[in-house]
Amino acid sequence: MHAATSTTHEVHDVHDHIHPPPEGFVRKYVFSLDHKVIGFQYFFTGLLIMLIAGSFAELVRLQLTDPKGAIMSNTAYNEMFSMHGTAMVWLVLIPLVTGALGNFVMPLQIGARDVAFPWLNMVSFWIVPIAAILLFSSMLWGGPHAGWTEYPPVSLLDGTAGALWCAAIFTVGISSTMTGLNFMTTIIMMRAPGMTWTRMPLFVWATFATALMNMMATVALSAAVGALFLQHVFHVPFFDPARGGSPVLYEHMFWFYSHPAVYIFIIPAFGVISEVISTFARKPIFGYKMIAFSSMAIAILSFTVWAHHMFPSGLAPWLQLPFMILTYAIGIPTGIKIFSWVATLWGGRIYFSTAMLYALGFLITFTFGGITGIFLASVPVDLHAHGTTFIVAHFHYVVAGGSLMGFLAAIPYWYPKATGRLMSERLGHIGFWLFFIGLNGTFMPMHWLGLEGMPRRYATYEYFAKAFPDAQFWNQFETGFSFLMAASIGLLVFNVVWSIKHGKVAGINPWGARTLEWTIDSPPPYYNFKKIPDVFDRPYDFDQPMPYRNTDNVVAPYPEYGAVVMAQPAGAGA
Amino acid sequence: MKGLGPGFWSVTLLLTVISLVNAWYFLFGSIDWIMPGSTNPVANVTYDIDGLFKFMAVFGGAICIYVTGYVIYFAIAFRARAGEPADAVGAAIHDAPTLEFWWTALPTLLLIVLTGLSIVVWYKIQFGVGSATGLTTEVIGHQFYFEFRYPGLKTSIFSKTEPMHLPLGVPVRVLITSSDVIHQFWVPEIRLKQAAVPGLVQNLNFTPLRSGTFDIVCSEFCGIDHSKMQGKLIIEPVAAFNKWLDGEKQAAAAGGGTVDLSGGTAAAGKALFAQKCAACHQIAPFDQKLVGPGLLHITDDPAHPTLVTGQTPTAAHIAAILQNGFSGPIGTMPNAQANGLAGKDIANLVAYLTSLK
Amino acid sequence: MAAAAVHVSGHDVVAARYSDVDPVYAETRSIRLVGFMLFLISDCILFSAFIFAYIYLRSSAPIWPPIVDGHQLPWFDTSFAAMNSIVLFGSGVTMHFALENWKHLNKQKFNRWLIATIVLGIGFLLGQAHEYSVVNITWAGSTMGASFFTLTGLHGFHVFIGVCYLTILGIQANRGVYTGSKYFGLIAGTLYWHFVDVIWVALFFLFYLW
Repeated sequence: MHAATSTTHEVHDVHDHIHPPPEGFVRKYVFSLDHKVIGFQYFFTGLLIMLIAGSFAELVRLQLTDPKGAIMSNTAYNEMFSMHGTAMVWLVLIPLVTGALGNFVMPLQIGARDVAFPWLNMVSFWIVPIAAILLFSSMLWGGPHAGWTEYPPVSLLDGTAGALWCAAIFTVGISSTMTGLNFMTTIIMMRAPGMTWTRMPLFVWATFATALMNMMATVALSAAVGALFLQHVFHVPFFDPARGGSPVLYEHMFWFYSHPAVYIFIIPAFGVISEVISTFARKPIFGYKMIAFSSMAIAILSFTVWAHHMFPSGLAPWLQLPFMILTYAIGIPTGIKIFSWVATLWGGRIYFSTAMLYALGFLITFTFGGITGIFLASVPVDLHAHGTTFIVAHFHYVVAGGSLMGFLAAIPYWYPKATGRLMSERLGHIGFWLFFIGLNGTFMPMHWLGLEGMPRRYATYEYFAKAFPDAQFWNQFETGFSFLMAASIGLLVFNVVWSIKHGKVAGINPWGARTLEWTIDSPPPYYNFKKIPDVFDRPYDFDQPMPYRNTDNVVAPYPEYGAVVMAQPAGAGA
Repeated sequence: MKGLGPGFWSVTLLLTVISLVNAWYFLFGSIDWIMPGSTNPVANVTYDIDGLFKFMAVFGGAICIYVTGYVIYFAIAFRARAGEPADAVGAAIHDAPTLEFWWTALPTLLLIVLTGLSIVVWYKIQFGVGSATGLTTEVIGHQFYFEFRYPGLKTSIFSKTEPMHLPLGVPVRVLITSSDVIHQFWVPEIRLKQAAVPGLVQNLNFTPLRSGTFDIVCSEFCGIDHSKMQGKLIIEPVAAFNKWLDGEKQAAAAGGGTVDLSGGTAAAGKALFAQKCAACHQIAPFDQKLVGPGLLHITDDPAHPTLVTGQTPTAAHIAAILQNGFSGPIGTMPNAQANGLAGKDIANLVAYLTSLK
Repeated sequence: MAAAAVHVSGHDVVAARYSDVDPVYAETRSIRLVGFMLFLISDCILFSAFIFAYIYLRSSAPIWPPIVDGHQLPWFDTSFAAMNSIVLFGSGVTMHFALENWKHLNKQKFNRWLIATIVLGIGFLLGQAHEYSVVNITWAGSTMGASFFTLTGLHGFHVFIGVCYLTILGIQANRGVYTGSKYFGLIAGTLYWHFVDVIWVALFFLFYLW
């Protein structure tokens, strides 16, 4: 009598068992095991650090308004861009897109009560503030100076600050690895009955692909910064050429993680875009299977292209070829997604909510950033562009114009579910235009400045201003537009706070969306679902009833919010 | 909804026209505003790299134009309108296999062509064309200046005070390394850069095609004054270049004299070696070269009974190499001035080297 | 079911015990197993990163062992390490038997095999300590020292954690935390211990045989 396998879901009453709620302020809000609370914790931590790291960026931009350096010494400038990059990558982007979004949304979308390992989830969050303390405390010793990459040998001159930088990154890496492991297990094992892989929402596919990369790549970073730490403190010569070590080895170890890292930034944003475009065009996502498949293809290919960050840096020439070819190849699944999203717009019935505006903006700016990435995939062109502001422009277009924009779309989209209130659409629209215009104004000129000869990480640029007299004008132009982005984020923070009390009450499904989180109360009870639902079809068919049984609430398949919009001429915000 | 939507083909036509204008501009217009000196290439590879760039700008630009255009057009054409019922939905389309095939196949084809073109240019840059018969020079990165060395020239040229010179029309191989941290040697108008990595020698190959003065820029963060690390490159006709190089050699030959070896200690020499020499020499058998040969058996190697100068390996002869430098088939060793050796440094180093067995 | 005359695999014995009766536990156990396997995979990649560093440094060195202070470093002594390896692999065998006995509800035998495992694990650590004291290279002096001490040190750290973990498991097993049908902790401990063995196979090859 071989028993049924552990994936049996027939005994529903056992699954519907709900634990008693947590008691006391500390259990409820500080050391909570609830994925939703943990999601909030990541959100507020990430947002706070974004404000700090963003201010550092503004200081960088102010410095560059004068070719001689407007406001600070070279040392201070080097510290500013290094802290900006480090904090944004590890303490803002990854916690926000994986920790905040993944935690809050994914278990709801698969019909689970929580993630697979809630205690591990809580620990993963609390590691982030600890890592933040380590990183910011390094500024007491001067901070890192060699960028978010901190290549040896030059980074060894950072002394104690460099060692603290390594410790901070190592620490936050543990959080990422554990979160990746947690999410992968959750998605593999805890989907509601009937939710096969091809009935999962695309945001869940994205979270799965991201979790895979998080889990497998971050440990390579831990090894790289761990070895660098050992060199700082114990003089272990992994990267010291005088004792047989190799600085290029650090680059290999660092980029083996850091290339998948950039896909960790963007793939959750891809997931958000799929959800948002489908919902606000009121039609199925075009090419569901190809989008899901391409997320997995990108996740796997991301491990094979790292050395394209090292083309002029000491790679054996013959090695450049396979990395160039694979980097081109990874552009194909990305392109397929973009085209599929554009095709989703066709024939739709489009509402211009704030989330949709960010999604539309994403399609424009991310495509542009992706195309400049194709330029850089070519070794000969990269030999010219590497180390210039062209690179800075490329990655800000894909990270700020891609990953961050996706996150800015996610906030107004899921805020009603998380808080029970809608955010202000008026403020959201203004914020979008500020951000979109600001982004393009800040980063577009960097493309031609870089190719003309302006390197990145330059505290002053007198040589370049002599060769290229427009340099100062363009830098001032960029600085001016950067304040639009800052204003947008400021407005966002205000909107988040203001809407908690003053936003319109949201109801359970203001957008008429079709994934499982929209079948439960806003905000959800701590146990998410009273009864774990049964899933019997894919989620994006807007002309069908919702494909779930046993859901807590009967939901109309069209937006309640749409009733509000319909009272006004098409295209207007709230 | 009629066909593909109101005005779809007009919009497509408009986007096609814009793409063609973009293509015409990049193929036939001047792109000097983004790629300096592209209308008058400085080196052979400049022309090739600019060509690749233009190809990508044409097709990449087209993709951006179409995507942006369709996003804006679809958003407007398919917006929800006031008169429609609240529960109206968009078209229930999940996929269109033919369309998906073409939008996968065509970009793939484009990327295959791009790969092929890139490989051709890549080969030229990495392996050079006929560089065996051309000029080989060396660049060494320092914090925060470049050091240039030429065959037959014992002294080095420093970017702080003098420009690098190259002869017009001669294929050149530039060997690049660093004495301290990672730097990058970049000449924007030629388009090539390579990292100067301590412990490694990299190379760049190109043939200068135009005379003039150009900027050399460090483009890998190397410390506090990274933004001040630039130099000048002068490309001039062969005759002018040779005259300049001969002048430098005559100035170098005027150096010399004997070195005082008393009071040197091996311990001090060992520390100095790690600081000044280890980037290029290992304490290892002769064949274990980094940039220069291994020096473990400098005084007692049966396979190499004399120094590279042909002299016996006595303290005085070793000191002479340290003082004056050396240039020959094996490479170029900078002199004391170039290496920043002063006072008792040579005595200490000689004491250390002669103590090795 | 009492022990049968015919040997039944531990897995079937246990599966028969709870899968029908307690499907929620069955699912919990599967979830934990997936999570634990993913953890071991990520740990594997951590070692792989350092192994890559070692291979890279060794392949790009002009001579190996490298020359420090004018003298070439000696190769490692394979025979002692081989003996130490047998100790470690032996502990893997004893752990396997410990778990089998637990599944067959033989608590006494389980305890004996578990203690044997812990003793052999500590023996391995002592062997490594001896190896560190006799080996003539320093951590900071060369890339050989850097790779050797970092990799074997990381491994030794894992063995140390494993010894602590197995000790805690033994205490908990004897306190009744684990039953004949619910003992995921013991499975995790066994898997972890085998993982530590597999990593050592790689390290032994890389440092002592290559």
